[in-house]
Amino acid sequence: MKFQVNKDVLSEAVSFSVKLLPLRPALPVLNGVLIEANETDVVLSTFDFEVSSRTTVIATVERPGRVLIPGRLLNDIAGRLPQAPITVELNDSRVVVTCGSSRFSLPCMSVDEYPTIPEVEGSTGLVKGEEFSTAVSQVVVAASREDSMPVINGVQLEISGTTLSMMATDRYRVAIKDVAWDAGATPIEHSALVPSRTMQEIGKTFGSAPTISITFATKEDREVIAFQADNKTVTSLLIKGNFPPVRRLFPDVVENYAVVNTADLIEATRRVKLVVEREAALKYILRDNTITLEAIGGDQAQASETIDAVISGLEPTVSLKPDLLLDGLTAVHSEFTRLGFNNGDNPSKPGPVLITSQTSKDGEHESSFRYLLQPNLLLR
Amino acid sequence: MKVIIARCSVDYSGRLNAHLPLATRALMLKNDGSLLIHSDGGSYKPLNWMSPPCILVVEEPDPDQIAAGVQRLWRVSHAKTADVLVVSFHEVLAEIDHDLGDDPGLIKEGVESHLQQLLSEQLEILGPGFTLVRREFMTAIGPVDILARDEDGRHVAIELKRRGDIDGVEQLTRYLELLNRDSLLRPVTGIFAAQEIKPQARTLAEDRGIRCVVLDYDAMRGVDDAHLRLF
Repeated sequence: MKFQVNKDVLSEAVSFSVKLLPLRPALPVLNGVLIEANETDVVLSTFDFEVSSRTTVIATVERPGRVLIPGRLLNDIAGRLPQAPITVELNDSRVVVTCGSSRFSLPCMSVDEYPTIPEVEGSTGLVKGEEFSTAVSQVVVAASREDSMPVINGVQLEISGTTLSMMATDRYRVAIKDVAWDAGATPIEHSALVPSRTMQEIGKTFGSAPTISITFATKEDREVIAFQADNKTVTSLLIKGNFPPVRRLFPDVVENYAVVNTADLIEATRRVKLVVEREAALKYILRDNTITLEAIGGDQAQASETIDAVISGLEPTVSLKPDLLLDGLTAVHSEFTRLGFNNGDNPSKPGPVLITSQTSKDGEHESSFRYLLQPNLLLR
Repeated sequence: MKVIIARCSVDYSGRLNAHLPLATRALMLKNDGSLLIHSDGGSYKPLNWMSPPCILVVEEPDPDQIAAGVQRLWRVSHAKTADVLVVSFHEVLAEIDHDLGDDPGLIKEGVESHLQQLLSEQLEILGPGFTLVRREFMTAIGPVDILARDEDGRHVAIELKRRGDIDGVEQLTRYLELLNRDSLLRPVTGIFAAQEIKPQARTLAEDRGIRCVVLDYDAMRGVDDAHLRLF
């Protein structure tokens, strides 16, 4: 195998491949990037039985061939090489990478031991790259990182008509974002639960692509999802099990709400939370078109701050964990935020707070992004 | 039990040599012959000690030692090794003797056994349809914490730990190998359940096809934070 490739093209392709490499694979070959040189292009792939990545780059191929080399090392090398064409050549059992006057000789891993990467064909529908990438970043913060309930370690994708909804929860909050979905001529209803780490990488990788093609498939009795854009493909096994029915937690009507400047509330929350312990809540008191934040720290340090708001309906006082509120406020991506308050069904538990975006203080509110947060009990 | 507060220096010779310079320390001479020398802080452990079985001999300080201010000399020798601890007392500040009688022993708050009991009562944590076969299922190499059946009726061996590390995975692997030789039980799969699972242990377990489950002790005990959650 021997081919020549542009430096930037190779380093971009390798860094994409390496992002989805497993952190601690039990099989050493899974640390490798599979490089396949065909007649006119080179395909780089990774696979760990759950997630696979595949990208094709244009190259001048002298001799086609197939090698497996340590992925992270290749990524470090490709990122550091000087601006000159790179030649990659298999020499006996070693791969020699030359670029200008630098020369690296890397050990080959056994291609025969490498598992077969699933191929997913066709396309179920399309989303816009930037919109999708933003949506993932808005939703993925709410996904659970604890592994006591695997179904909430993922981001749930639900397709219905022309909408793709993404949602995640850790039981303390739920984030949902709807984006436009182009299903072509044969729209289907479908849902898929994708591991949140994979989803996060996909969101970052495909953000600059104009459109992303999403495909649902079944391979060897396991459900697979594939994301394709530019010359890149990522496939992932779905998490087994049913995502909790989080939509029914959202209130149908929100009668009481406050509209605040998002940046004001973020800044005030960050300041006031300085005096409380990590898991402790802040008190948000709504009164006379203001919100007063109050915190009483463990070692008697206290803080409070008042910001302007437009309040409609009741003037509740709620107790919220600042970090969970901040995740919602930073994901709302709008100048103003609407905080909706409801009584909830359970008298021993305060009703959830609903965060949605709003472009101006008294303008229309927009509900494609919804973030539902459970307040703490109010302690006197 | 004899407790002495004294200005003393201590020399230890044996598997290693150590010297504690002259200072005020607390010495505990236990009824089993062991001697522990404590400083006022730094650690819960003694600075130096001789564990039983050992023999305490009170020696006469030689003239040089008397000239150096030594009033009393203890030589504690281990009965089975050549380890020797020599305490040179320069000034005894306090001395208490007391018979403590028989000790009932330490009763640990058995989180592990409590976890076992709680999990055997709440096997649905592991998945729908799990049923208990029995706790402490005996094998030739020791008891498996819980043997259960999954929803398809297949046997599942569950190893419970507070902190799940590599050793626990190895232990479960040994049980699984043995259980899978039994035609009445096999196929037996494994679940490694702990309050906290070390990354290396998880990698090893998953590589061996053992499922890892992190247990929330508080939630299992019913010290739940349901009022903080949406569902």
